[in-house]
Amino acid sequence: MISLAGRDILHGWGKFVLTGVGLGLLIGVTLSMAGVYRGMIDDAQALLDNSGADLWVVQKDTLGPYAEPSSLNEDTERPIRAMAGVDRAAGVTYLTMQIAHRGKDVRVMVVGAEVTQPGEPGQPPYLMAGRRIVQGHYEAVADVKTGFAIGDQVKVRRNTYRIVGLTSRMVSSGGDPMLFLSLKDAQEAQFEKDADAIVRQRARTASSPALNPPGNPAVAEAVNAAQASSTNVNAVLVTVAPSADADAVAAAIRRWQRVTVYTRAQMEEILVDKMIANSARQIGMFLVILAIVSAAIVAFIIYTMTIGKIREIAVLKLIGTRNRTIAGMILQQALGLGLIGFAVGKIAATFWAPFFPKYVLLLPADSVRGFFAVMAICALASLLAIHAALKVDPAEAIGG
Amino acid sequence: MAEGIRIENLVKTYGQGDTAVHALRGVNMSVAKGEVVGLIGPSGSGKSTLLKCLGAVIEPTSGRMTIGDRVIYDDGWKVGDLRALRRDLIGFIFQAPYLIPFLDVTDNVALLPMLAGKPNAEARKEARDLLEALDVAHRAAAMPSQLSGGEQQRVAIARALVNRPPVILADEPTAPLDSVRALAVVDLLNTMARQFETAIIVVTHDEKIIPTFRRLYNIRDGVTVEEGPAGSLGSDGAGKS
Ligand SMILES: Nc1ncnc2c1ncn2[C@@H]1O[C@H](COP(=O)(O)OP(=O)(O)OP(=O)(O)O)[C@@H](O)[C@H]1O
Ligand SMILES: [Mg+2]
Repeated sequence: MISLAGRDILHGWGKFVLTGVGLGLLIGVTLSMAGVYRGMIDDAQALLDNSGADLWVVQKDTLGPYAEPSSLNEDTERPIRAMAGVDRAAGVTYLTMQIAHRGKDVRVMVVGAEVTQPGEPGQPPYLMAGRRIVQGHYEAVADVKTGFAIGDQVKVRRNTYRIVGLTSRMVSSGGDPMLFLSLKDAQEAQFEKDADAIVRQRARTASSPALNPPGNPAVAEAVNAAQASSTNVNAVLVTVAPSADADAVAAAIRRWQRVTVYTRAQMEEILVDKMIANSARQIGMFLVILAIVSAAIVAFIIYTMTIGKIREIAVLKLIGTRNRTIAGMILQQALGLGLIGFAVGKIAATFWAPFFPKYVLLLPADSVRGFFAVMAICALASLLAIHAALKVDPAEAIGG
Repeated sequence: MAEGIRIENLVKTYGQGDTAVHALRGVNMSVAKGEVVGLIGPSGSGKSTLLKCLGAVIEPTSGRMTIGDRVIYDDGWKVGDLRALRRDLIGFIFQAPYLIPFLDVTDNVALLPMLAGKPNAEARKEARDLLEALDVAHRAAAMPSQLSGGEQQRVAIARALVNRPPVILADEPTAPLDSVRALAVVDLLNTMARQFETAIIVVTHDEKIIPTFRRLYNIRDGVTVEEGPAGSLGSDGAGKS
């Protein structure tokens, strides 16, 4: 027996391939949507991985530092470091901001990390080029996605920093590339007030009898100094000793400090399940709509192709072709369309993924799932045409 | 000659009660193997209905129908698989050739033996032999759309013959053809009927070919009247040309 579907497709391949390509672009969009979602999860995971932390110590009862603002005194780190099971602990600050660079605004996440010693949590774990920050001030390490180059000067708030090293895949959970500064510099950028605010604050202190008691000017000076510098961090990143259990250490920190502590698993839940959940639903909606549109296209095309062959189908039935053979022919055509569509979609998605501003991660497993979904949708969409074909009366071939 | 197809007292009523249409009211007909008979009659007389009953695509209301010595219908179908019956025992030729546009000439013909389960190579060999016999072998690899009307009709005849059915039903096979071609088709049908021992029933309005039938059935108001050689037709003049 010959393949009726195959022959029919070969006979009208131009129309068939064009339809397949159209469907394929739609499938490409669908795969990209899934890739955007996977990219978001991967960004979140990269953020957690690259922080190098096992535990995140944040302001009590907040979901900080990535999902909610959190502020801790940097001194919190010291008693934690002394606790059993804790290997290292370091304060970090995170601040997403826009930086003007060569006439363009670049959105970055400024990370303040302990740079005095290599290996402290919060530092970029590896560099692609250049060196780490060695001076306490005015040096920065940037993710390549910022577009900054080694030697570039970038201005963050009031100060200018020189890029001394480049790293990669260091992004915020929103996909913004990171710019690493020393903790001191970053604290200044984040917490320091601008000149006007300082002037006003000083005036306020001066006019307050409590902060500026008559005859004791040293008090006001001390107050001003305390107000001007900041010793806050957004979180303390903790690594636990290889022998220690992260959950136990987290419980111990919670018991002794008035802070909230998250383990890696909890942090993942906050970032992926809570922060990304809404985007995931959004993308899920898109996937559903795209699936319906694809199904409608396949159903329409296969149905029109079948209706165009009603007479031939009547003749085939009259000369003894089984219903099963005719249904099989239509099903195979739908699946063939799906196959072309999937191939085109996969190629298209792979081709245009790098042009997306955010990370698009095309997982092979998603492709496999997509393939089966496309096939299932095509099979489903062919049912309408199969129904129409099976209803054809062989007597129609004889006519009136 | 051996009997090809025989129908006795075949009745077909469409619908029921007040709206019932008595399309066939007791048709009798017998065609031997190797014989070609004409079936004529005015519009609405029941020709297509009879053809559909013979072709096992609609069920008669009552009567009896045999092909060779097989009882096909006796107040009810006597075969389980009508599809296989059509495939193996009946060949169809239509007014238009109705070739499958996406199969080449050979496969249009070979499709039937393939449907009957023959291997492709064997089916194609049978098809090519028949195309040879019908003088269209040189177009064996062409697509139907590339053939002339006459060639298409010959391929359609090859398709009807390929499973060597004892009966072939032809529905206005010459309608679109000019008289030379129409007569050639009738000749061909006569040759094929003898060569393949097939009973051929040709439904036609075609004045050009009616005189060529040695035997004619004239159907009126659902009843057949057998008429002798076409030349001796009665006063309705259907056979005069
Ligand atoms: N499916 C049907 N349902 C009801 N009545 C039908 C049906 N098919 C045919 N008829 C009626 O049966 C009668 C015979 O019809 P049939 O088609 O057999 O005539 P015909 O001889 O083929 O006519 P023509 O030469 O015009 O093709 C007509 O009165 C027709 O209206
Ligand atoms: Mg008719």
